[in-house]
Amino acid sequence: MNNSLQIIYSNYNYILITITIFLILFFTLSVISEFLFLEPFITFVVYPETSLSFLLIVILSIFSAFAISMNIYRVKLIKETKKIGSSIIGTVIGASAGACSCGPIAFSIITTFGTAGSIASSFLTIYEIPIRLTSIGILGMVILVTATSLSRECKVKF
Amino acid sequence: MIMTNVKVIAVIAVSVIIVIGLGVSFSSYMNDFENSPKKSDDGSQYVELKKIQPLGSTSAPLTILEIGDYQCEMCKLWFDKTRPLIIENYVNTGKANLVFLDMPFLGNDSGPAAQATYCADDQGMYWDYHVKLYQYQQHVDDGWANTERLSAIAFGLGLDIDEFNECMSSNKYFSHVNFNKKKSVTDFGAISTPTFIIIGADGEAKKLVGGHPYSTFEKTLNSLL
Repeated sequence: MNNSLQIIYSNYNYILITITIFLILFFTLSVISEFLFLEPFITFVVYPETSLSFLLIVILSIFSAFAISMNIYRVKLIKETKKIGSSIIGTVIGASAGACSCGPIAFSIITTFGTAGSIASSFLTIYEIPIRLTSIGILGMVILVTATSLSRECKVKF
Repeated sequence: MIMTNVKVIAVIAVSVIIVIGLGVSFSSYMNDFENSPKKSDDGSQYVELKKIQPLGSTSAPLTILEIGDYQCEMCKLWFDKTRPLIIENYVNTGKANLVFLDMPFLGNDSGPAAQATYCADDQGMYWDYHVKLYQYQQHVDDGWANTERLSAIAFGLGLDIDEFNECMSSNKYFSHVNFNKKKSVTDFGAISTPTFIIIGADGEAKKLVGGHPYSTFEKTLNSLL
């Protein structure tokens, strides 16, 4: 696994991709989850009650950044797109959880889909932490499997 | 032959589902229609608006209008963290008053919870009931704001429970709450809760979207004073 990471991140472009994905996700999720306010003043606030949710956002963003950048490398290497799909699904599920509380996303979903939207929105809110933990688990598995398969494929190539 | 029977059963089942679905939608539509704002003699629509006393002095130079849903967790977070400081530093000192506008959209219990505050207001306890709702808030539609719990809150506040239950069962404030919800969206452009409109003495208004921390309110309120 270490060997795979060394191979991928010896190319600085992948470090840049990882940092970019992390920042985009972290920024977006922080705004949606109301940890970061952009107007009228830029304000960042994490209350003790929301610290677990914030921590999960940070972990989710880090794992997504690694999983996606590793899979971009994998796609370029062997043109196999299955795992990048898994990491994107994991990211989307995790990002959706909790982001649907009282915000504009919830309002759009509920006004568009009515009762079904309301049920979906409250489900994503109620089970925010378990859903995020599941997504982190999925992303962790994706990272592990990708790294393992990359080192195996690289060995075969050697 | 068996396949044909299966197809027939499937078609019947789908038809029954569609008919039931249409029936439920129509019934829901008619229910909304029957409870919609009545028309006056000249044909214009009106709703008997209930005037709620703002929290704080009516002569305060600033007005903070909160647009919220009693099931919204960000509203509760704001209620717990920011509101007490605003009340201490701006409402109690006569610099601002607080008004609440209902925008119940998150779940089935949001509307009745909002109606319950007006039924409580009939007995002079609007703000007490409002506070209790946020204190007792749990997850959306998990039963914390069902009919029995709303009555229990009223009972806990010492309200006349028969009068309160009569008010709730008659849907006395259904139209009023719906009117407030529409007003939140059309007049104030709210698409999420909580949304705040802060109105200064000269009529200048500033909009804050989300459960902002106290520091943001402090800066905004001071800029309008």
